[in-house]
Amino acid sequence: MAIIKEVTEAFVKDLVKNGKRQDSRDFSSYREIRVEKGIIQNDEGSALVQLGDTKVLCGIKFDLMVPFPDRPDEAVVMVGAEFSPMAHPDFEPGPPREDSIELARVVDRAIRSADCIDSSTLPRTEEKVMAIFIDLHILDNCGNLIDAASLAAMAALKNAQVPKINGEGKIIREDFSGPLALKRSAVVCSFEKIAGRMVVDATEEESTASDGRMSIGVTDDGLVCCGQKSGAAGFSKQELLDLIDLTFEKSKSLFKAIE
Amino acid sequence: MAKVLKEEDLIKNGKRCDGRGFEDLRPIIVKAGVLKQASGSAYVEWGRNKVYAAVYGPHEVFPKHMTNNYKALINARYIMAPFSGLDDHSRSGPNRRSIEISKVAKHVFENVVLTNLFPKTMIDVHMEVMQSDGGTRVASITAASVALADAGIPMRDLVCGVSVGKVAGELLLDLDKYEDNLGGSDMPMIFAPRNGDLLLYQMDGMLSKDEVERAYDMALGACKKIRVLQENALKEKYKEVFEKIKGGENGNNQGSY
Amino acid sequence: MKNLVVPGEIVSEKPYRADGVFMEEGKTLSAVMGVVEDGRLIPLKGPYFPKRGDYVIGIIKEEGFYGWMADLHSPFEGKISARETREKFRIGDVVSAKIFEVDEVGEALLGEARRLWEGEVLEVEPAKIPRIIGKSGSMVSLIKQYAKTDAFVGQNGRIYLKGGDTSMAVMAILKICSEAHVSGLTDRISAFLEKGGKD
Repeated sequence: MAIIKEVTEAFVKDLVKNGKRQDSRDFSSYREIRVEKGIIQNDEGSALVQLGDTKVLCGIKFDLMVPFPDRPDEAVVMVGAEFSPMAHPDFEPGPPREDSIELARVVDRAIRSADCIDSSTLPRTEEKVMAIFIDLHILDNCGNLIDAASLAAMAALKNAQVPKINGEGKIIREDFSGPLALKRSAVVCSFEKIAGRMVVDATEEESTASDGRMSIGVTDDGLVCCGQKSGAAGFSKQELLDLIDLTFEKSKSLFKAIE
Repeated sequence: MAKVLKEEDLIKNGKRCDGRGFEDLRPIIVKAGVLKQASGSAYVEWGRNKVYAAVYGPHEVFPKHMTNNYKALINARYIMAPFSGLDDHSRSGPNRRSIEISKVAKHVFENVVLTNLFPKTMIDVHMEVMQSDGGTRVASITAASVALADAGIPMRDLVCGVSVGKVAGELLLDLDKYEDNLGGSDMPMIFAPRNGDLLLYQMDGMLSKDEVERAYDMALGACKKIRVLQENALKEKYKEVFEKIKGGENGNNQGSY
Repeated sequence: MKNLVVPGEIVSEKPYRADGVFMEEGKTLSAVMGVVEDGRLIPLKGPYFPKRGDYVIGIIKEEGFYGWMADLHSPFEGKISARETREKFRIGDVVSAKIFEVDEVGEALLGEARRLWEGEVLEVEPAKIPRIIGKSGSMVSLIKQYAKTDAFVGQNGRIYLKGGDTSMAVMAILKICSEAHVSGLTDRISAFLEKGGKD
């Protein structure tokens, strides 16, 4: 339904107060989730995730880099996010917006804190370690980009293959030693606070009526690994704890989708 | 396997590396209306190339001082995703090559879009390459043309094109990445196929005048085939709805609509 | 589908002027996707061009000493002169209005502007509006009758609905939009509405 923007906020709030959502979902349901791994063959790993009409593509490329001085044996992981102007009329080309930077950093935080990537199995040269570039490309913004992006990143990591390094210390593209070893998986669930209620997997229209958002990242072995509150609304302690429970429950179908 | 090829290796026994004949196109898939937010969109798979195109507008011009009182301005934007190439991860955003391609693409649309119908407005045409394997600019513009039609922007024709190059002494249609990198010449072209107007032309390397003419004819001939794919992509959704309704009306009671 | 056309296809061997077509060498060709019927193009897509006498639904986006500018879901804007109305509009107001004049650059001068309260405003492709209205308003009357809803249809692709079963009205409208190109539309919509909004 294409209700125009200016009346959307009031329309959504009204629906929520009456316990309803525009697409008839209940407040804790995700839209249809579709995951396609290995969609970009030029990459070492990739995935396309569709959450309802939201579409996020993730491509992974390996390279060799001098490690961070305080973490000399760890692989370097860099998460980037591009909010393509194709994805929404408000997205413009140019330097990253604050919400695109926030999204990249939240996805990064979940993967890093959960220690998903097993650096010890990755090859290296004397001076350099493997750098893993995780690039998120938002193709179609129909809401809940953070969850879709974290799912795409995790699916791409599960799809990733490690390239070999030749005798001169250079990566040989398209020559792989095996799948990327992962210690665990992590996904993020975001909740929008609309008219006092928590809404899971908000559409783009629903998010215009949101007063604040809480994103929680969890691992597949039962730990919380990432948190981010956004927007002006306040959250109570009980609300936070309830959302953690809800995240553990909802994450099951997310983990299943990227198996 | 990493390929370290020389130009001579690209053609063996009258066939190219991927088994194609000299005048064969790579397999092409065109889909229209693939993105929900954009006014119009398209997705093209061309060999191993994967490109998206999206259109917004016509809308107000930003910055305002650029407004043209007599026609719509076209804002064409071509970029490659950092993970699109076979090589190292590249930086996000446009580089000099993509800015040049954006410009020559803009001139294509300025020709076919009936810009005089929308003075004081701007039309955004986005072309983004998710995976590249040679010929991305022609694939992108071919996709953008479908996206413009999908957005209902009035045009006098759909446009499409292909590149022709000289590799190991032969003129080859639709170069892939290896052929483009190792070959002697590359000539991308975009046409308005109905009347054969040449709307994009670039060329590098060295060719005789005869070779240019032969390459031109090869490309225009291929365009006719590509245009059919574009048409079918646009008509597809309507056909589906039509089949579904007429199927129901003819008493196909397997499933009720 | 034999008569479905894309830009550049022939509509008529004779020239005529209308939205969505252009003339070349004495023939009329399509500039947008559409259906050709009796040598005329029925566009399936395309932006709204303001026309004198059209009723539209606009959203106020700018205010000045002259009056207000309204977004019309079109490349062209609408202007409400402060002298033409006693109402005071604010940015974000949704208004119904009539186009009194269209100037050389396509901008519309609006009159009879009235603020629309509550209700819902649906935005569809302007090309579908003629089908939603139907011959002499027959289609929109059907919807109003069955859904018991009040409806105001703007030529610019916006439809205001208030009261009654707006969900069913919206579903009927979306069905018209997706099936506009297939004959027998009126019967299908009647059947749909009779069944309470089910196929």
